[in-house]
Amino acid sequence: MKVVPSRSNEWVRSVTPPKPASAIIEIDRVSQVFQTSARKHHLALSEISLTIEEGAFVSILGPSGCGKSTLLYIVGGFVSPTSGAARIKGQAITRPGPDRGPVFQEFALFPWKTVLGNVMYGPLQQGVRASEADAQSRALIEMVGLKGYENFYPKELSGGMKQRVALARTLAYHPEVLLMDEPFGALDAHTRTRLQNDLLNIWERDRKTVLFVTHSVDEAVFLSDKVVMMSKSPGRIRQVIDIDLPRPRRRNELLLDPRYQKYVVDIERMFDESDKAGSPS
Amino acid sequence: MMSPATLTRRIAPALACVGLLMVWQVASLALKNDSFPTAIEAIRAIPDILGDKESLINILASLRRMAIGFGVAVLFSIPLGLLMGRSRAVAAFFNPLLMIIYPVPKAALMPIIMLWLGVGDVTKTLVIFLGVSLPVIYHSFEGAKAVEEKMLWSGAAMGLSPLQRLVRIVLPAALPEILTGCRTGLVLALITMITSEMIARQSGAGNILFNALDMGQYDTVFAMIIIVGAMGICLDALFDQVRARLVRWSEPQFDMPLSFS
Ligand SMILES: Nc1ncnc2c1ncn2[C@@H]1O[C@H](COP(=O)(O)OP(=O)(O)OP(=O)(O)O)[C@@H](O)[C@H]1O
Ligand SMILES: [Mg+2]
Repeated sequence: MKVVPSRSNEWVRSVTPPKPASAIIEIDRVSQVFQTSARKHHLALSEISLTIEEGAFVSILGPSGCGKSTLLYIVGGFVSPTSGAARIKGQAITRPGPDRGPVFQEFALFPWKTVLGNVMYGPLQQGVRASEADAQSRALIEMVGLKGYENFYPKELSGGMKQRVALARTLAYHPEVLLMDEPFGALDAHTRTRLQNDLLNIWERDRKTVLFVTHSVDEAVFLSDKVVMMSKSPGRIRQVIDIDLPRPRRRNELLLDPRYQKYVVDIERMFDESDKAGSPS
Repeated sequence: MMSPATLTRRIAPALACVGLLMVWQVASLALKNDSFPTAIEAIRAIPDILGDKESLINILASLRRMAIGFGVAVLFSIPLGLLMGRSRAVAAFFNPLLMIIYPVPKAALMPIIMLWLGVGDVTKTLVIFLGVSLPVIYHSFEGAKAVEEKMLWSGAAMGLSPLQRLVRIVLPAALPEILTGCRTGLVLALITMITSEMIARQSGAGNILFNALDMGQYDTVFAMIIIVGAMGICLDALFDQVRARLVRWSEPQFDMPLSFS
């Protein structure tokens, strides 16, 4: 059932210096300008370039309004950039596709479908047989900890449960890249921690590429291989930090690990400095 | 065993009807006017109408026109409203047209339509169609406009084409709003049905009513008003049953309490 990604673009890589893993997403000098009124323009993203390796967990961290969501929407193909280009496996991204699965902060579940109906939607659309889609979806629902809720409607679920359904719904159609926009931002601290652990477990099992937008420094360091720090007005990449911490990561071990603590403190300090240096917008 | 709240809710409509009839009875007795029969006189005239084959055929002919006018209007208006809600170009084209038609009483167009299409079924059905279309278009439009964009994006990521998104995401997501429009449309269908038969007298429930009025048979007039009213209540209740079943997923679960004291 699972599609094996094609490697037909390997020759492109061979020209550039060898890398440990092949790039799956390339963001190439992407800028985004929004027209805010008849005369005014707003530069939301300025010349963003970023390469994401296959199987990497990459977080985008930055203040509110720095263009994190916009960048994610461009990779998703939901928004086309004003200039520059995003590519997946060497192909220009022009529209959404099942190779990139979004998980939105607003959940965006289909309210007229039950939990099971939501999760089955993608596989059915992809032509998976109903009995098979049903079995796979039930397994996914169990994996995200919602066994017993298959026939509930979204309005009957809490925020944390909806977020789990949204994750399961996207995982169900096996996207190669997960695009997650502050998926845990609206949740209470306890639920948030649990979902972070669950996401990490799922990810460490099948190693999908994840592009993960967040406000939270802890969350970014805990989950990621790489943290992309952005700054605001215009949205730019400030710094890209490799998080060199062992996996599988366990929360209780990591929180005591001085290396983890140093990453968190360093990143927070860098944001503080830019706040002081930055002129009011 | 029914809770007191459920019981009250169940019998409330019956209480309202009985109350109305009582007020009518008292008012009629007090006024002593020939053209205002008592409720009991009017109710007594109902079996005569419903027992008469000619009248029954008339009423059924009305209902048939209404069903066709309503059905065609819904089938036409929902797709149009949804398209308008999702495409600015389509909305920009149709909005001015609808704004022109909106304030015109549809029955006022009847004399003109009669000149073109005669006084038969086509004219009356067309007027019903016009009466029903606008609220259904309007509510479908508003419903489609309000569909959360991220929901459409999720569908696009799963590989749904634009048409599939319209049918399989916009339509169900806007359904509660669409059905609100259809409910208004149903009432308007009944109203335009009667007015069309008032203008083009030939057959129908409206014809019985206005003929009786001409001949001074006031108990028949009021009996017909009761019959038409009852038809309205029944259709509306039936429709609400269907609606509630279709959009159970969106209904609030609890009554809104007026106070928490
Ligand atoms: N459709 C739009 N039209 C006009 N301006 C927009 C639009 N979308 C985003 N913007 C602007 O672009 C900037 C970046 O928005 P974006 O939503 O990407 O920020 P963000 O980093 O995701 O913020 P947050 O952390 O609050 O979600 C903001 O200043 C926002 O006002
Ligand atoms: Mg955002």
